[in-house]
Amino acid sequence: MRRIKVDFMGFRWWFLGFSALLMIVSAGAMGIRGLQFGIEFQGGTVVSFSEAEGVALADMRSSFESHGVASPQVQSTEDGGFIVRTTESDPDAANETYRAVVEELGLPADAGDVTTIGPGWGRNITNAALLALTLSVAAILLYTSLRFEYKMAGTAVVALVHDVVLTLGVYALVGREVTPNTIAAVLTFMGYSLYDTIVVFHRIRENSQRLVKQTFMSMANDSINQVLMRSINTSITSLIPPLAMLLFGGETLKDFAFALVIGLLSGVYSSVGVASPIYAMWKEREPKFQALKKRYQQAS
Amino acid sequence: MDPKQRNVLALAVIAMLVGLAWWQFWPPDQQITQGLDIQGGLSVILTAQETTQTLVTDDVMDRAELIVRNRVDRLGASEASIQRQGSDSILVQLPGISNAEDALAALGTTGQLEIRAVEGVDATGTPIVGDVLMTGEYITDASLSTDPTTGQIEVNVNFNAEGTRLWAEITTARVGQQIAIVLDGVVQSAPVVQEPITGGQTRITGDFTPEEAQQLRTVLETGALPVTLEFSESRVVGPTLGQDSLRQGVLAVAMGLALVMVYMALYYRAFGVLSWLSLAVFASLFLGLLAVLSSFGWFALSLPGIAGITLTVGLAADSSILMFERFKEEVRLGKTFRSAAKSGTRHAIGTSLDADLVTFVSALVLYTVAIGPVRGFALTLMMGVAIDLTVAILFTRTIIVMLAESVVPKVPGLFGMRGADSDA
Repeated sequence: MRRIKVDFMGFRWWFLGFSALLMIVSAGAMGIRGLQFGIEFQGGTVVSFSEAEGVALADMRSSFESHGVASPQVQSTEDGGFIVRTTESDPDAANETYRAVVEELGLPADAGDVTTIGPGWGRNITNAALLALTLSVAAILLYTSLRFEYKMAGTAVVALVHDVVLTLGVYALVGREVTPNTIAAVLTFMGYSLYDTIVVFHRIRENSQRLVKQTFMSMANDSINQVLMRSINTSITSLIPPLAMLLFGGETLKDFAFALVIGLLSGVYSSVGVASPIYAMWKEREPKFQALKKRYQQAS
Repeated sequence: MDPKQRNVLALAVIAMLVGLAWWQFWPPDQQITQGLDIQGGLSVILTAQETTQTLVTDDVMDRAELIVRNRVDRLGASEASIQRQGSDSILVQLPGISNAEDALAALGTTGQLEIRAVEGVDATGTPIVGDVLMTGEYITDASLSTDPTTGQIEVNVNFNAEGTRLWAEITTARVGQQIAIVLDGVVQSAPVVQEPITGGQTRITGDFTPEEAQQLRTVLETGALPVTLEFSESRVVGPTLGQDSLRQGVLAVAMGLALVMVYMALYYRAFGVLSWLSLAVFASLFLGLLAVLSSFGWFALSLPGIAGITLTVGLAADSSILMFERFKEEVRLGKTFRSAAKSGTRHAIGTSLDADLVTFVSALVLYTVAIGPVRGFALTLMMGVAIDLTVAILFTRTIIVMLAESVVPKVPGLFGMRGADSDA
């Protein structure tokens, strides 16, 4: 049987330092480069062409410009299509332009997808996204507080915030657009990240009930090691489907997958590198465990 | 009932459910409704604009929805779906519509027809309109005709009895005077009343294209919207693009599933193969549920929905992993295979329950709060969680317990374990 034992807790300051660095870089990226929000949040039109054989990017741009669209953002996709973003918020006008462009470039009329978001709608979407995030975190906090103790709940949420900040930091760094799908993906990986943390905490709680001749810290380390293989395996099986979406899916699926992949990776790491050490350090300050620490520090 | 009978019963229930599921969802491309982003068509969210005069109440929204429904019916769109979204929006989905612009125009026009007094003309010759004499609420039907001399398209409207009486009064009192026909605040024409009209009809002339005239007819016949509706979101998807996306989505799900299966078999050997069965049961029940919901018109598979399904494949594998690991661990601690299987799977299901509930709560929040396509993702995610737990409790656990009592002790190596005794 494979028995792995890694002294995670011995490296706890390295983990925490590394995470602090990641947080600073992410916050910096968001502060300096900023997040690019999709049209859903601000109104406008996105036209996507699945395939546009023989059409050059410049042709696409000039065709939109010649039909009265000021400075369209044209981007080519991996599958040989295009995504064009304009500020048009009237669907009638947007579809008229689309029809004219398709005719001019000799593309089939059903090759594309025209999405128009009205100017006032973005506020609704933004409010809904913020409300969903707040409610989710509140629900998670409440659930973990009831199910476990508040120190576990608190550290689990710290790990979640870590994952979310890191993911948004990557979005800012690579300049990827944040869409409602991104928000949905964030909400979802928060659940998954918590899953890993819960598995470890479950084990720590179980072991702490028969804690003898050992410090809390080393027991926590044993707990991580005991559940390590299942944590790694559940994370790998959770990661495979979003990776498949990222590789094989179209634009919408990639939208979900990108945030999920980063968030899930961060979640695996943060349950071991962020949540567990902070929790163990917090617990060691309790008098009961301080006594254990004094007695068994050398032995462990 | 003794445990053996209970196991057999659990498997029988699962077998029956899987059979039912296949009967429901096969062939899946016909039994599972495809969303608009997949089959192509027009999807719009119309949001009522509140003003100081018109508050957006439930009653107003009910009337607006009815009128939108009538207009959609006249567009000839089969299988259209109209739903309220939130307190002030209406989602209209028209699958397979070819002319998006016409549909958009018919849906977004308020259609408030007014006949107003004219109080003179301004410097450019445009009539200055006065009091509202009559509105379009009395219109029963409308028809189109072409003026033989000018070639202009005219919209002829007929009034009901009350409208006829009112119209007769107005025209009798104003012979020789100009009146204005105003649609949504724009003067269409300002004819001079030649003689009293008692037949309850009038003509609206203007520079209409045939399409515009047809839309005007639709709008007049279905009545004015009680409130201005504005497009919040409009999506027109070509059927080709939609089918491409579906193919990519199915490929992503299939690849995700296949890779998870390979990994499970490599790592968990015979248990991995057992997890294949669990995943197959999971997938069957999922498709069956989608087909059942589709048949009631409660579900349409969208791309975000496919993302949710793909994700739950990992979730389903996770609950198997938790059970295998816990079982192996308890065997290592010296328990017999039999009792390790029982208590191990029970503990693992407890952990799965915690983790699944967290995902479920996130999805539920998203479903309740979010607007737009993202809800499809939340919905499939919630279904996936529920099915995962069902499969874990009824199927995977039962099989592990049964195997632990029969096959595992004979060939533990096949399951990635040493014998209980040697490991104690």
